Amino acid sequence: MTTTPNTSITPADRIDWFQKITSPALEQKDKAMQVWLFSGVFWLTVMITIGVIEAVKLFYPEFLQGIPALAYGRLRAVHTNIGIFGFMSMGYLGAAFYMIPRLTRTPIFSETLGVLTAWGWNLNLLGGAIAIMLGFTKGKEYEELPFPFDMTIGLIEILIAGNLFSTVVLRRERQVYVSVWYVLLALIPFPIYYTLGNMRNFRGVEDAIINWFYSHNLFGIWLTALGLATLYYIVPKQANKPLVSHAISFLGFWTLAAFYPWNGGHHMIWGPVPNWVMAASVTASIAMFVPTFATMVNFGGTAFGTGDVIKRDVGYRFSLLAYASYVGTSLWGSGLAIMGLNAKYHFSSMTIAHVHLGFIGFGVAGLMAFIYYYLERGRKLQYSRSLAEWHFWLTAIGIVGYTVSMGVLGYLEGNAWFAGESVQSLLPLRYWYNVARAASGMLILVGQGLFLLNLWQTLTQPEALRSLALDELEVEERLAE
Amino acid sequence: MKFKFFRTFPIIVGLSILFGLAFSGLVVAPVFTSSIATASPGLVAYTPTEQHGRQIYLREGCVYCHSQQVRSVKADEPLSTSFGAAKAGDYYYDSPNALGTSRQGPDLSNEGRVWSKDYGDSAREYLIGHFKNPRAYNPQSIMPAYDYLSDSELSDLTDYMQALGAWKDHPPEETP
Repeated sequence: MTTTPNTSITPADRIDWFQKITSPALEQKDKAMQVWLFSGVFWLTVMITIGVIEAVKLFYPEFLQGIPALAYGRLRAVHTNIGIFGFMSMGYLGAAFYMIPRLTRTPIFSETLGVLTAWGWNLNLLGGAIAIMLGFTKGKEYEELPFPFDMTIGLIEILIAGNLFSTVVLRRERQVYVSVWYVLLALIPFPIYYTLGNMRNFRGVEDAIINWFYSHNLFGIWLTALGLATLYYIVPKQANKPLVSHAISFLGFWTLAAFYPWNGGHHMIWGPVPNWVMAASVTASIAMFVPTFATMVNFGGTAFGTGDVIKRDVGYRFSLLAYASYVGTSLWGSGLAIMGLNAKYHFSSMTIAHVHLGFIGFGVAGLMAFIYYYLERGRKLQYSRSLAEWHFWLTAIGIVGYTVSMGVLGYLEGNAWFAGESVQSLLPLRYWYNVARAASGMLILVGQGLFLLNLWQTLTQPEALRSLALDELEVEERLAE
Repeated sequence: MKFKFFRTFPIIVGLSILFGLAFSGLVVAPVFTSSIATASPGLVAYTPTEQHGRQIYLREGCVYCHSQQVRSVKADEPLSTSFGAAKAGDYYYDSPNALGTSRQGPDLSNEGRVWSKDYGDSAREYLIGHFKNPRAYNPQSIMPAYDYLSDSELSDLTDYMQALGAWKDHPPEETP
């Protein structure tokens, strides 16, 4: 402890700090994790901003009209791709880069490779997003990124998988905790379905089936697996209780791995697909009740009786919000695969509500839970409690507002179509629901702004820079040995 | 290290088997399904302008709001009674697919029968005018105005619109 703490922070210190956490030069502990995590936060902000712009366009279509790059159909693809590959992939890979060394008691195989892959991923995604805005797209949902930006993601993922997988193989801890299983599930099959989905176009309905096989695996066994890995890691620590049952998490993991890859076909129930595709997907989607129920029981049991922590810890509250949203969106998704309900509501706004409950409920809240956990328990930093409270309540109200407005609208749309109404006749009905959706998105965006302010103040306070200097000292001593 | 590897090995084998099952079910099996691998009787391939129009349709993200699949369910009844439900062979020439998952706007799989080429210039003028300024035709429409597309792009997009489902109205002459 030879360093003397400096109490005043100058702008030069902040620039210095930024360079230190971003340059790949030093094999510093948790460096790759920080680049991944904070890139995820950056893309999250971009994603929400674009989402709000689009939501406004849905009730006021003249908004930003006449700029091709900002046309609804192009921004939609940028919004989803940044959501999937920017915010959720990067944020939760940040969490994985944090969890894996701790759960295996082994340093990351290569921090430098981790940092380089993160920057490569960022630049590639930026290029891809600009390309979509300029009109280069493959034109299929969730496969829009044009060549070479799509294939670069696949290649970088292989490097990330190699980096994390090597860490797991070289581990000092023999036990493999359930979070590690989920990370392995996310990492290993990705190159197969990703390449299959993006590589080429198939013919007609076959192309659609493969499109959905790819997309649903992207949500199910890439994003959901990374998200659940994170929740399984932080919830017991935040609640300060062991997981209720490792047997139940075992059951939940294997049933999820067995059923989720079959779910893709549920986007074409009643559609022009062979009956057995429909039967398999409906069965698998309804069977998803099993892993959902396992997760529900496991987290619910762990969280039971932790009311005092809920009051005290904003991060824990975010975890529970993510947990509730995960259970809600999973049960809803299984329900929407029931054939009678699918016939009514599949093409309606209810599907949009379901997806957003998954993304902003489970995805955003889960990542926020992890970041508050990381700041408080990982870095031992004090963040502003009042800003965090505002962030939580704005986000929570935004999620509920979005889900309710779109869910109710979807219900009304489905029933109106069932009664023989046309799509066009529902336009007046939609107006105020779309306004409510944009307002909910706006609340989340404001909450996100407060969070960014809080994050910046926390990471550049004197203690934070000092702990970074101590880390560096430790690394230098280790290198000198 | 070898021992450690064996502890993760069963997880990897198990995951590979489960993923492989779904892969063979949803990816490999459709290739051998005859209803997918043969075109519907009477289906016509796209002309070059229609194909180009189709690319513009995908580029501008029309597919996010307009489905192209009529299902044999009660909610689709107005469409299926007049046009019939979609069959796998109808999409034989669609690569990539544009089936869609949402109906923010109406289903377009039979747009070529609603605004048929048989109606001549008036149908074309309607479609092009509507692309450029949808709210001139329906003040409540939330469709983006595609006034930034060039005349030839709008023309190709219109060709594509008028091709959708049109083949059902013009059955090819039966060859004995």
